[in-house]
Amino acid sequence: MILINRALLAMTLVLTLGLSPVTAKEFLLGVQLPLTGSLARVGNNTLEGITVGVEMFNSTNPNHKIKLVTIDDESSPAKAMAAVEKLAAQGAVAITGGYGTNLIGPASDAANKAGLVYITSGGVGNELVSRGLKNFFRTNGAAGYAKAVVGLFSDMGVKSVSIVYSTKEATAELAQSVNKILSGMKIKVTMHTFDPAITDFKPVLNKIKLQDRSEGIAMIGYENDYVGILRAAKVMQPPTVKAMVGVWSLATPKMAADFPDLMPNVYGTSMMPFPAGFNTPEGKEFEKTYRRLYKKEPDYLGQFGYVQAQLLCEAIKRSADKGTLAKGGLAAEVRKTNKNTLIGPVAFDETGDNPSFQQRMGQHQVGNKIVIVWPKEEVTGKMNFPAVPWK
Amino acid sequence: MKQRTQIVILLVALYVVLPFLLKGNTYVMSILVASLTIAGVALAWALLGNLGGMVSFGHAAFFGVGSYISAIVTMKLGVPIFAAILMGGFGATIASIAVLPALRLSGPYFALAILAYAHIFKILATEFTSVTGGAGGLLGIPPLPTLLGFNFGSKLGAYLVIITIILVFAFIYARIRGSYYGFALRAMHESEDATRVVGVNSTLLKALMLFLSAFMTGVVGAFNAHYINFLEPDYAFHIGWTMLPLVAAIFGGYRTLSGPLIGAVVVYTVDQLVFKSLIPSGHQIMLGVLLGIIILFAPDGLIPLLKKTVRRVRQTGKCRPPQTDATC
Amino acid sequence: MIELILQSLYSGLLSGGSYALIALGLALVFGTMKIINLAHGEMVLLAAYMAYLMESKLTLSPILAIPLALVVSCLVAVAIYFLLSRISKNRELNSLILTFGIGIILTNAILIIWSADIHSTSSPGFQEPVVLGPLFSMRSELGFFGVSIVLVAALWWWLSRSWYGRALRAVSSNRDAAKLMGINPHRTEVVSFVVAGILASFAGVALYCTSVIQPSLGSSLTSKAFIITVLAGIGSIPGVLVGAILIGIAEAMTVTLYSSALQELTSMVLFLLVLFVLPNGLFGAAGRRG
Repeated sequence: MILINRALLAMTLVLTLGLSPVTAKEFLLGVQLPLTGSLARVGNNTLEGITVGVEMFNSTNPNHKIKLVTIDDESSPAKAMAAVEKLAAQGAVAITGGYGTNLIGPASDAANKAGLVYITSGGVGNELVSRGLKNFFRTNGAAGYAKAVVGLFSDMGVKSVSIVYSTKEATAELAQSVNKILSGMKIKVTMHTFDPAITDFKPVLNKIKLQDRSEGIAMIGYENDYVGILRAAKVMQPPTVKAMVGVWSLATPKMAADFPDLMPNVYGTSMMPFPAGFNTPEGKEFEKTYRRLYKKEPDYLGQFGYVQAQLLCEAIKRSADKGTLAKGGLAAEVRKTNKNTLIGPVAFDETGDNPSFQQRMGQHQVGNKIVIVWPKEEVTGKMNFPAVPWK
Repeated sequence: MKQRTQIVILLVALYVVLPFLLKGNTYVMSILVASLTIAGVALAWALLGNLGGMVSFGHAAFFGVGSYISAIVTMKLGVPIFAAILMGGFGATIASIAVLPALRLSGPYFALAILAYAHIFKILATEFTSVTGGAGGLLGIPPLPTLLGFNFGSKLGAYLVIITIILVFAFIYARIRGSYYGFALRAMHESEDATRVVGVNSTLLKALMLFLSAFMTGVVGAFNAHYINFLEPDYAFHIGWTMLPLVAAIFGGYRTLSGPLIGAVVVYTVDQLVFKSLIPSGHQIMLGVLLGIIILFAPDGLIPLLKKTVRRVRQTGKCRPPQTDATC
Repeated sequence: MIELILQSLYSGLLSGGSYALIALGLALVFGTMKIINLAHGEMVLLAAYMAYLMESKLTLSPILAIPLALVVSCLVAVAIYFLLSRISKNRELNSLILTFGIGIILTNAILIIWSADIHSTSSPGFQEPVVLGPLFSMRSELGFFGVSIVLVAALWWWLSRSWYGRALRAVSSNRDAAKLMGINPHRTEVVSFVVAGILASFAGVALYCTSVIQPSLGSSLTSKAFIITVLAGIGSIPGVLVGAILIGIAEAMTVTLYSSALQELTSMVLFLLVLFVLPNGLFGAAGRRG
């Protein structure tokens, strides 16, 4: 029977195509990130940061050479899992990367099964740190974003907030936690969830304008959602609103350049001002290396990538010096991390979370500038408030 | 007799040789398991297409329902996992009852109506937060269990589970196809009136094929949930669960039994190992090209084409270009 | 509450206008050739990227991209027709699968060329608010609503009055008889694809000016267009406008009265209901004449 012969042939194909073990002399650090597909930009920028982190580590630590091996997970959980397994087979000592709970979840499970440390900055979901994995670490959770959004609103003294959020995983979860904290502070909160396919936000904004009469609008979504919400807000001009506050991917130079009329006075999470003003020696060195390698300004994703790579490299070095690296001692070394980094203090708890993580809030201001306006100790300029894009 | 020997060889190869050769290489194993997951859906899709005469653009609906039901009954009710996987299949069958009104629709309408169902199920999964975990999804879905001292949660275990699922389904499919009803079902493509005359209730048969196809897809979805240990509406009902099996089945030849299976393994593996390295971003473009080429030049798929070629080679001793030989 | 409902009706009406623009090309090809072009949404998206190209590279108004978009869309449309005409058997289903494949190719080609970033017009003129009493809209929405009405009327007139329109309808109702009457069915079918391409290029530019584009948008545009075509009934051009406005209003009302999370559910359920209860669509009977 030909069919069965074909089946055997197909199997031989599978066998021959995938077998290529790699032997390593230096320490291999595995990176699993979405480099293609809808998350391509996020993945690539994070990878740039990781590369800078490793580059800087290697130049200051001549005795420990770290080499990156990168695999694209294409935003698919099965492929993320396969990527980690391939990296483990190639002899990686640890895995870093990941974006989104759906990719980090399976990937870090696979890393755990292979006994490898997994460190990420791309997943904010609480489920990730409630699995009891001993090898899992992340530098930033949803709580740090919620703290920043809530902190900004409470400093502004607004009495009512409308939360407009996408039904996607990370956004829905963050919206719920912001809601919880704001409600606990006796601030009136109204929730508006939206389908990611929505294009016309005017009916939503009209509800905020006529029914909620809120003083603040929290936008928890992605770039296309921000554009839609801000356009609708600019048309409806709800008179009670004093601030338009978003989260990730909003207070970025790219948004300012692409949508110059929508961004003025809009707030979003941002780890640093733009033009970047690093004032520590480490920050200056980071910026210099980033510019040398990529001929552009580092962004927040690059910064997160840099920090996770840096912490991991240092832990690998400590573990290798003690001779515990081959015996699974890396997780213990990562857990000992206690450092003030470019994204603030990092110290991991039992679950692998970094409870001290706190985002900063930036505001788009005149001249394509992004000014850090929260928290107080990081402020780089005066906050415009009340201020909205249409005034 | 010869066929029986070949089946034994195939079984030995699938259950002994292949696992033995690959057991150390988890990466190839996971590519294989992922491609077999697609193969399972492709088989179910082809069953509906071949025997039911319906092209579906919404098998993701059944895949998602099966995966969610199995995950929920294990996590909330503590049902044993293999039982839960079967329940996932039955759940998908029950969901397919909702699709019954669409059976009256002609080809393209049915194909796109079922797409709407996939969309509706996804929205329901997002909205019924208390049961499904909503957009946040379910993390930490229990892995396949350890039974009789063997860990099915390992790569090898997952491979053995999915290959067994596929072989059982292929066996059922083959039996139906070879039966009187299978003959009637295939005759239905030629003329629905003719089958009515010989006393076959075509709507009932079509409905049964829909149930069976949904069941198979649901079981594969449930397997995948316990293999990946994670679900969210976007993932469980992703269009990819329809698209890849469709391309695979068309590529291999959806009127044959082995076509969808071999198609899935070949398409997935080549996509992952070859196309992806050629075009890192947007390598799925090659899937579209593949689909176009097959539809235009070999609408029956690759396996029938190969069979014909081989037969011709055996008959004439050399291969002639197709246009000179109308019967090929 | 009245104000909310009024705005929601108005928003739905305007969205309906842009949906109609997207759906027209699909409805035309479906009505004349019984072929569902699943790559139609990608054709619209491609035209939208032409507008982006014009604005970002040449810093011209995206409106000026219409000629460029026309050329590109029509070329793609003719290419699709050429491939479709080579299908040897089971044309109805194989054309579905083939255009699905073309859709995958176009989506990924857009991704390869322009990456996954989101794009939309950066010229503020399009988003100037236009306020009519309690009703709010952007200038571009209102403008393209007008364009949409004009194109629906023009297409309707063309199909019912011009020689080509009559030839198209003749070919669609009886291909062989039309051949005997001296009509070249291939030529008339190419014409219908080219007209679909023209409509797609207007839809694409409108999309870029009023909304946000990204590579994965194509398939959702196609499914919206298909839903509207079903609602309209095969062959009914005014039905497309009515169906599109109906979907637009149903969505906006869902957002206003309940939540945006269920807006897609509303249109999908509406689609299935019409499919099961009125298989000829809302205006199918009228469209079937001739």
